[in-house]
This record gives sequence, C-alpha cells and structure tokens, in this order.
Amino acid sequence: MKNVVEIQNLTKSYGKNRGVIDVSLTIEEGDIFGFIGPNGAGKSTTIRSMLGFLKINSGSIKILEMDSVKDHEKILENVGYMPSESWFYTSMKVKDVIKYAADVRKMDCSAEAEKLCERLKVDVNKRIKELSYGNRKKVSIVCAMQHRPRLFIFDEPTGGLDPLMQRTFFNLIDEYVNEGATCLLSTHVLSEVNKYCRHGAIMREGRLSMLDSVLIDEDEFIRFYEE
Amino acid sequence: MRTILLREIKLNFKSFLIWSLSVGLMGLACILLYQSMEGDMKDMADMFSNMGAFSDAFGMSTLSIATLKGYFATEVGTVHGLGGAMFAAILAIDILSKEEDKHTGEFLFSLPVSRSKVVAAKGICVAVLLVLFTIICALFYVAGFVYLKEELPLKEFTSFMLRQLLMNIEIAALCFGISAVSGKSKMGMGLGIALVFYVYDLIGRVVPDLKDYLFIGPYAYANASEIFSGVETDAMAFVTAVMVILCATIFAFIFYDKRDLAS
Repeated sequence: MKNVVEIQNLTKSYGKNRGVIDVSLTIEEGDIFGFIGPNGAGKSTTIRSMLGFLKINSGSIKILEMDSVKDHEKILENVGYMPSESWFYTSMKVKDVIKYAADVRKMDCSAEAEKLCERLKVDVNKRIKELSYGNRKKVSIVCAMQHRPRLFIFDEPTGGLDPLMQRTFFNLIDEYVNEGATCLLSTHVLSEVNKYCRHGAIMREGRLSMLDSVLIDEDEFIRFYEE
Repeated sequence: MRTILLREIKLNFKSFLIWSLSVGLMGLACILLYQSMEGDMKDMADMFSNMGAFSDAFGMSTLSIATLKGYFATEVGTVHGLGGAMFAAILAIDILSKEEDKHTGEFLFSLPVSRSKVVAAKGICVAVLLVLFTIICALFYVAGFVYLKEELPLKEFTSFMLRQLLMNIEIAALCFGISAVSGKSKMGMGLGIALVFYVYDLIGRVVPDLKDYLFIGPYAYANASEIFSGVETDAMAFVTAVMVILCATIFAFIFYDKRDLAS
C-alpha cells in the first residue's frame, strides 16, 4: 500500500503559543483515518499545515508522494477539503459556488456535482446567505467531492447535518474510498470513529499518538479529553 | 487565475458602478452648473483669486473660475480627485483581507491555485476597475463640455485624467500592501489614507516650508489647477509614485505568500 500522507516531525507554533510539536503521521491509501482530540489540541493546525494555509516551522509533509510546499498546487488538485466552518461568498448562488470551484480546478464536474446535490438534497438555486449552517455544510461537501479527489480531508464534517444526511455523507465516503480514495476525518464523534474509521490517532496538547484500535468505548474516549 | 479575476470583478462591480456613476454624475452636474453661474462667476473670479493662501490651495490664483477650463480644474478637479482616491482606497484595502475577515479563505485556498496567482488576480481586478472608473468619469465630463458646446482642452484634460489614474493606482497599491498584511477589514484606514494625502497636498500648497516635500503625496502630480494652467510638475513626484506602486505591490506578493492564513 502506498502512503498517501507522510508527515515527519512537524512542528508549528504561533509566536510563543504552541501549535503542534514533533508530529509524525502516516496514512495509507484506501484508509479512513480518524483524527480525534480536545479543542485546541492541534488537529486543525495539522490539517491547515497539510493544506499550506500555515507555514510550518520544521519537519516535512508529503501528500500523494509530493512535497506540500513545492508541489502545493498539484497536491490541491487531488485533495477535497471540507473545513469545520463552511463559509462561502454570501452573494453567490449555490450553483455558482459549485461551478466556481470546478472552474478554478479547470474541470467539468457538472455530472458528479449534480449527483451529489441530488443525494444531499442541495437547493442549487438558493443564495449562500439564505442557507442554514447545515445546508452550507452540504455545499461544502459537494465542493470537496465533485472533482473525485484522491484524498479527502474533513474537519468536523457532520456538525449541523441531520442524521439522514450524516448517513448519506458516510455512504458517499465509503463509495469513494472503495474506488481508491483515502480519507482523513477529524471529529469529536465517537460513533463516527468506531463505525467508519479503520485507523486513528489522538492529539493532545500539540502531540500526536496513534490509536491501537479505533474500537474504543465511551469511557476511554472521554478519558482522551480529560487527561 | 482568470476565473478568480472574473469573479472578483463581478463581486466588486456593484461598488464600482455606484462610485463611477456618483463621481461622474457629480462632475457632470458641476460642469452643467457652470452655464447658470457663468454671469456671476466673473465677479466671483476676481474675489476668489485674491484670497491669498485659500486661492493658492485651490488653484484659483493661477486659473480663473470664470472660464470653463478654470472652473473645471478647480471644481471638478476636486470632486474627481477626492472621489477617485476614496474609491481606489476602498476597493484595494479589503480585496485580500476580506478572504480572512469573511472566512472564505479556507474555501478559496483549498482550491489548486497558488497565493501569488490569487494576489495577481485581485491586483489586476483593482487595476481594471480603476481604468474603467477613469473612462466612465471622463465620458461624463466630455459629455458636459459637448452639451455646453464649449471646446474641450484635450491635451490638459487627457493629462489630468491619466495622472488621476496614476494617483488612484498609487493609493490603491498602498492599500493593497496593507490588505496583504491584515486579516481584518481596514476600510476606515483606507479612507483615512486618501483624505490624509488630499489634506497634505492642500496644506503643502499653503505652508511655504512644505512646498519642497509636496512630491511625496500623489496629489502633487495630479493637481488639476496646475495641469490646466501648464505648471510643470516635479519629476520626483512621478518617480515617487512609480516607486510606491512597485514597492507596495511587490511587498503584497512576498508578504502574502509567506504568512499564515487565519481560518
């Protein structure tokens, strides 16, 4: 199996404030990798460093065997990212946002986007400012999936989604992963880790430890947040 | 990059239209008012040209507002100079920072496009809208001259509009540089920069000690009364403008590429 994500000794700080310290992580192709940990532990910092939003202090990040700094654009061609807060240009219509994302990628994703909008029940004619938080999340899912990327990065994706949409979302992930994609899922929801993830890691105070198994019970899960 | 440029133009088009029409129509209204004020102007012109520092500051000591040329330079010159500078500042000061301020950066920068291309697309958008702003305003002013059946001083008028465009680009470049640093909206600061430059020029034309340093501000080479009365502009003013534009733009590219983006 090829490694889709290879992070080695990643350190990122914000001035005097800790971000992440000496994080090393490997995710294999076809994995659904759970990323858990308390708020402020460094999960988003790791993800944002992978995507090039943050400039890292030391270490290296390889995604799809490419260097995250040198091959930044090439990597993003093959990544679908869904941030925890899904913000778009409020005056734009949903269909325009989806098409805009495809146009920047120089791809015609209309067929896949239509399929996703149908399954996620996205009203493409509404303006972004008319959407609820959950519906903005669904637009974000379409933008992250419509180009059929090789790596998905989801940062707390199910917040705001109703149970039916949560199930549809994970069904979609399963389908794409079965076709060869890989998924990094940052979440606070134990059932998502237990049910869908194959491997996992926990972040605490900027440091990462691999989980022996993703089949953890609620008490153990809560302890991760207490310690 | 083309997609981002077109979207930026679309997103800023409403504001562009409001400013172009407002400034253009105000200028046109000023020109059209000349006809009804022409009789009284002759008496006022002498009075205005002998008001010492006030006349110097507004250029009325070198040009007579009794002529349309002089009236245009002193009245429309001020309206366009201030309006254009404010539009340039408002347009450029938020164009980069709004992605973080409105939390859209995570969407935009997760797409396969480098930060440099985003900066370039947004910079080109500012330049294109400023050129269009200048053209629309110029058309309004020309329409005023045509309606009054007055001869347009083409050479001075073209020089004035081009220098105003350069001034707007200089102010926009400064604000663009600030936008690259900031993750928050700095609209107030942008307007402040435009007004400070205007006041600096006004004071500089009254206070003798400041006259040698007028070239620092962009109004030094874009002053309508000087252009229409044929006063030669200090070459240093143009050199400073080009330097400011280049440095601020290069700074925006380098700094924006190196910094962390807020979520």
